[in-house]
Amino acid sequence: MGENLTTSTKGPSKQSTSLVSPPVAGIASLILPGLGQALARQVQRGLILLGAMASIVGLFAWRVSLLATRETGFFAKLGKAISWRPLFVIPVLIGILALWLWSAWDAYQRAQPKRRGGIGVFALVIALFFILGWQVSEIDLFKFVTELSDAKGPLSRVLWPWEAAVERDVEVVSASAEILAPCDNEPPPAPPEEVPGEPYLVADPTCGDLATQDENLKEVPGTKLTLVGRGFTPNTTTEIWWIDPLRNEFRMRKEGEYITLQTDAEGTFQIDVTMPYRLIPPSSEGRIFHRIEARQTSEVGGFKPSSVLLRNIEKMVETIVLGMMATLFGIIFAVPVSFLAAKNLMSGSPLTMALYYITRTILNIIRSIEPMIWALLAVTIVGLGPFAGILALFVHSIAALGKLYSEAIESIDPGPIEAIQATGATRLQTIMYAVVPQMIPPFVSFSIYRWDINVRMSTVIGLVGGGGIGFLLIQYIRLLDYRSAGIAVWFIAITVAILDYVSAEIRERFV
Amino acid sequence: MLEVKNLTKIYDDGTVALRNVSFEVVDGEFLIIIGLSGSGKSTLLRCINRLIEPTEGQIIWDGKDITAAEPAQLREIRRKIGMVFQQFNLVKRSTVLTNILAGRLGYVNPWYSLLGRFPAEDRKMAMQALEQVGIANQAHKRADDLSGGQQQRVGIARALMQQPRIILADEPVASLDPVLAHSILGDLEKLNKEQNISILCSLHYLDLVQRYATRVIGLRAGEIVYRGSRDDIRAMTDEEFKNIYGADAERVGSSIEGALGG
Repeated sequence: MGENLTTSTKGPSKQSTSLVSPPVAGIASLILPGLGQALARQVQRGLILLGAMASIVGLFAWRVSLLATRETGFFAKLGKAISWRPLFVIPVLIGILALWLWSAWDAYQRAQPKRRGGIGVFALVIALFFILGWQVSEIDLFKFVTELSDAKGPLSRVLWPWEAAVERDVEVVSASAEILAPCDNEPPPAPPEEVPGEPYLVADPTCGDLATQDENLKEVPGTKLTLVGRGFTPNTTTEIWWIDPLRNEFRMRKEGEYITLQTDAEGTFQIDVTMPYRLIPPSSEGRIFHRIEARQTSEVGGFKPSSVLLRNIEKMVETIVLGMMATLFGIIFAVPVSFLAAKNLMSGSPLTMALYYITRTILNIIRSIEPMIWALLAVTIVGLGPFAGILALFVHSIAALGKLYSEAIESIDPGPIEAIQATGATRLQTIMYAVVPQMIPPFVSFSIYRWDINVRMSTVIGLVGGGGIGFLLIQYIRLLDYRSAGIAVWFIAITVAILDYVSAEIRERFV
Repeated sequence: MLEVKNLTKIYDDGTVALRNVSFEVVDGEFLIIIGLSGSGKSTLLRCINRLIEPTEGQIIWDGKDITAAEPAQLREIRRKIGMVFQQFNLVKRSTVLTNILAGRLGYVNPWYSLLGRFPAEDRKMAMQALEQVGIANQAHKRADDLSGGQQQRVGIARALMQQPRIILADEPVASLDPVLAHSILGDLEKLNKEQNISILCSLHYLDLVQRYATRVIGLRAGEIVYRGSRDDIRAMTDEEFKNIYGADAERVGSSIEGALGG
């Protein structure tokens, strides 16, 4: 009995004997947090406290110096930081002080013969890391709430983008007149000939000066033109466009607003406009003719799928095919690789074992690099487009499938293998008749799962230039065309959901 | 005739599974090996066709040294040695027919067989083998759709396809109930008597041993501790019994299983 007692208490009692008295341990931790704990034979606890203290102080110093970049000197920086972000700086300061004192108290407790003190000090450490983390990651809930309303427009367009999914044919009724700028000695261009029944536009005069700036940068307005239109569609909104000699066209404004006029019951109108400001390249020689055009656009016919919708469908198909091709190539290459990475098949000799370890290591390295990064690399080789995406997903698929397949091989029943070997079969026959039939269900299951992943990945691989719908999505987002982007987002969501369901169904039936 | 001479097997981790085992199997014999689990029965059977490489000793079969055979020779030897397993070792997802045809793998053109093709005479032979073990109507079922007894019959049919001169049976009835055990061993006995195929079989149940064996050897901790005929088994003394199964074992009726349960 006595023997039992000594053996059971020997281990802990030896460890818990402190090297120093409790007050000394406390003072030691006051000098260097964690030192007291280390002296009380609690080296791990001491190291954790020291590490925590050091990183908290380090993070704090970094954030304070970021808050007060212009100030010099410790106290000046601290004072500025306090006035700038009191809710962050003051609690952390108090927390660091508390942690310092608490670690000393903890050392004092730990050095007692009967070791006391719990894990409360670590709760404080975690709380401090949390406050610092909040500051470092720039979490701003206030901003989130106040600026949410600004995002309402784009968000609502993304959530319900289907107005951009249809469009109607546009019919344009237009007529234009030539304007010479500036006037010269030659006669100005004649007004166009009027054909009865056709729209007709005449300007008076047909030459003049464009708006310019004088030497004081004050605007000098252009010549005023009187436009008369006849033969247009009655009672219809009409726009006025200016077309310069370079064929750049833009809609004309009056006092900042687009000119929008209404034709009368006979389809005629009259309006005064001033010639706009245009920079003509200095190299241009001779007489420079501009055009002014009156334009009526109207939507005719029924609704049809918009070009945006068609483009999205095209790219979605491309995405699915991209994922499929990458998976297919991945499977073809992963199968032989998986045999090299299966321990039970490769444990025959030191050479095959070496091959096993090399294969495993390469697979692990490839797998730990995300497909997005592989896509960036592939783009540098084959350029933008779906082929880059296929390469990226293909490389990643080999590694991922190779590992899954090899684990499936490792978990097969060895019984049939010895049975087939016992019949006098060759190694290849044994694999074909004992290994392969057992491999089919997991292979099918993993391959379909990978296809699922690859199509999902291919929707975003385009963000880095790897083709597919992601390529389109990032373009629309950069053009702030949220409706079109919304269609892409919807397509991705629908496709992924369907695929998820289908792949789960197939896998369930097969295994 | 199969001669095992001074066979020793030491595994990589230092476990001595067989120590200096010598015996022979005369053609046409039904030799049964008895012994506790872990006494080396399975290792012994697998050393004979070198599914497990022996550490020392020789196995001579009709003058040929199996232990010294090159891979190609070994495959030729193996195809004349059928093997039946406790867990049947069928490919569960394949059909019964495919499982049985696999017994021909040592004979057919290896490249042709990789495509899953077998000569017509082999297919005919497979159907005959199935009829012989009485499950001809199950040929196109998946192997794991069959009952345990039927699966073991598939295992025997697969061994038959090798046209073996000897069948190694590693506890062929340990996963089956007693009635099935008798019918499976009956099948083996029929092959033994009608086709003169030697049987080397490890068994648990002493009553089955008495019923089927022409000769018995007892293994304990990798060494042969008992040799006897069928009649010797009937007359086995308690001392001999404890020598094989250990001092703690008790005979319950004539069944060893009862003794091992405790």
